[in-house]
Amino acid sequence: MNFILLLAPSLFAALLAFVVRPYRAFVGWVNALLSLVSLGAALQFAGQAIAEYEAPTFGPSEMFRADSLSALLMVCVTAVATLTLFLSPGLTAESPYNPRQLRRYHYAINLFIAAMLAAVAANNVGIMWIAMEATTIFSAFIIPLTLTPASVEASWKYMLISSVGIALAFTGTVLGYFDFVTLSGRAENALNWPVLLATAPSLHPEVMRLAFVFILIGYGTKAGIAPMHTWKPDAYGEAPATLGALMSSALFAVAMYAIIRWKVVADAALNHGFTDTLMLALGLFSLAIAAFSLVIQRNYKRMLAYSSIEHTGLICCGLALGPLGAFAAMLHLVNHTAAKSTMFFLAGNIERKYGSPLIENVRGLIKIMPWTGALFAATLLMLIGLPPGGIFISEFALFRAGFRLDHPWLMGLALALLTIVFISFVSHLNKMLYGAPNENVAKGEVSAWQIAPLFLSLALLVTLGLIQPAPLTTLLNQIVAIVARP
Amino acid sequence: MNDALFSQLSTLGASLVLLFGIALLWRRSLHSYVVAFQWQSTVLSLLFIVVGYFGNDHDLYVVAVVLFALKVLIIPRYLQRLQARIGIEREVLPYVNVATSLIIAGLLVLLAYAIMRPVVSISALPTRAGLPLAIGLIFVGLFVVITRKKALTQVVGFLVLENGIALLAVLGTYGIPLIVELGVFLDVLMGFLVMQVFVYQIKTTFDSMDVDRLSQLKG
Repeated sequence: MNFILLLAPSLFAALLAFVVRPYRAFVGWVNALLSLVSLGAALQFAGQAIAEYEAPTFGPSEMFRADSLSALLMVCVTAVATLTLFLSPGLTAESPYNPRQLRRYHYAINLFIAAMLAAVAANNVGIMWIAMEATTIFSAFIIPLTLTPASVEASWKYMLISSVGIALAFTGTVLGYFDFVTLSGRAENALNWPVLLATAPSLHPEVMRLAFVFILIGYGTKAGIAPMHTWKPDAYGEAPATLGALMSSALFAVAMYAIIRWKVVADAALNHGFTDTLMLALGLFSLAIAAFSLVIQRNYKRMLAYSSIEHTGLICCGLALGPLGAFAAMLHLVNHTAAKSTMFFLAGNIERKYGSPLIENVRGLIKIMPWTGALFAATLLMLIGLPPGGIFISEFALFRAGFRLDHPWLMGLALALLTIVFISFVSHLNKMLYGAPNENVAKGEVSAWQIAPLFLSLALLVTLGLIQPAPLTTLLNQIVAIVARP
Repeated sequence: MNDALFSQLSTLGASLVLLFGIALLWRRSLHSYVVAFQWQSTVLSLLFIVVGYFGNDHDLYVVAVVLFALKVLIIPRYLQRLQARIGIEREVLPYVNVATSLIIAGLLVLLAYAIMRPVVSISALPTRAGLPLAIGLIFVGLFVVITRKKALTQVVGFLVLENGIALLAVLGTYGIPLIVELGVFLDVLMGFLVMQVFVYQIKTTFDSMDVDRLSQLKG
């Protein structure tokens, strides 16, 4: 029942947006309100997990299942989705898009949300793959909402690179299934994650190693782990800001989730060393790529994309650092979801005001849009790890886990790279906030409605930095028990 | 006896499927790409029937029919129609010339044999000899996507890569569970439809299908 409440609202919303033509504002409002139902269902799942109920399943041969890990991801995805749908273009009278574009935006973004939720709710790793591929299709469909050479280029690269990447992940899935079939014969539920995990200790290490490499490259492409990250700045830079918010926080988290699921299976078959080394190496490489690309960045939306790659790297490292690291990585995932989505909504406001995504064209932000400017500065400073933001806590925990495991050199390198990130972000922020305001840009906010909800995410971020709510800690500890068996 | 025949048939089928994939490397016109893809998909669906018959799994007949309808009838027709709409464009100069491409394809198949050796050695299936060929086809498809300049030929390269995965699944596991297989087909169809919209947009926005022109976004 809960699964229906989780998945059906976005599907119904997509249907509604599809059949009502031309687009009308009530569609956007109904969709936004429907997303609250999904959010409620996700919170219900989280509550059940915290109360230590048996993980509920649903559908033929237990197609869907919600354990603590799924529940956390569901809450992250639905929370960002709700925020996105309330801030989407088309709810208020003025909008930069025409009704045809708004109709396409609304049905595709709801399908995109449904696909992400299906991916985290799926028990069968084959179904998870299908949903992941669907996320690519629907999100690529909205990037070129306004047809410009740049947006067409970005969506083509995104579509092609992600499709190829995800195809490799499927190769890995097939190899994993092959190993299972060789051992215990064909079974309809062999791709169900708990079944796979139960068999994992007897799977062949040679095959599992190969399968995990394919899966890490494949889902890593979707998560934007370097060197498979090349589509990310293009897509985030050209996508409508609301889609950018969803992709950078929710879609990224879902792709990491897919990697985590397989990492647990691979760890059970291989012991920890193999996957940990790979993730640590790719994580540090992502950090390095992000740090050096940020120094020379001229476009603030692409700047946020590279910041995503930086955080991808951090989370990869955390997942490779034992139970403490896994705790830090999952907490970081939650913090990053709150911070990055907020940044994209604000970047969208700034782009609408200044009509340019270039840092050099944005001057005197704090004078022209005092609220947006202040929020942008505050969230950005927390994003790069300043207290009292939650990211400070999760990064601190992550490095502590690394030093505990005797990786002082690797952690030192990561800290040095984070310093580069820090300095370049502060310098870019300075250029945008201060200076003589552009003369042809009128003072004033885009609209109060576009800012007010963002204080909620800022408050959440600060809360997570000051205290660790007990339910969240319980949930995270349960997840650590799933993903990092000592 | 039956196993020997099955083994020979499956290896023959897998080799043919790989061969049609490599054919993309020396053909130039989009038309010949589509024909090669059509033949490849035909052989692949026959292979599904063969495995279904010898492996005694009737689900595979369903998969074979859907695969035939999708990849031999529907997608090629869309490709031809798209080509008619945007005019004939030849893959004049791929990034890598034909001779080098063929050598690289050979090396990729060798690489596939190398990495699949542990996998083949643990399997007792009559079809195991074809497994490295499937991985080889996946690599060749990847190579086509990377080295071709026309958006439309990149799409065909991607479809060939998908065929490689289907080949791997049918030879290694006698097909993944039916519901997953059908979902994958749905994704392929939707992905293809979105890609063809993009090809048309690239053509109208850039006045060419050359992905060379897609070079604004940097840094």
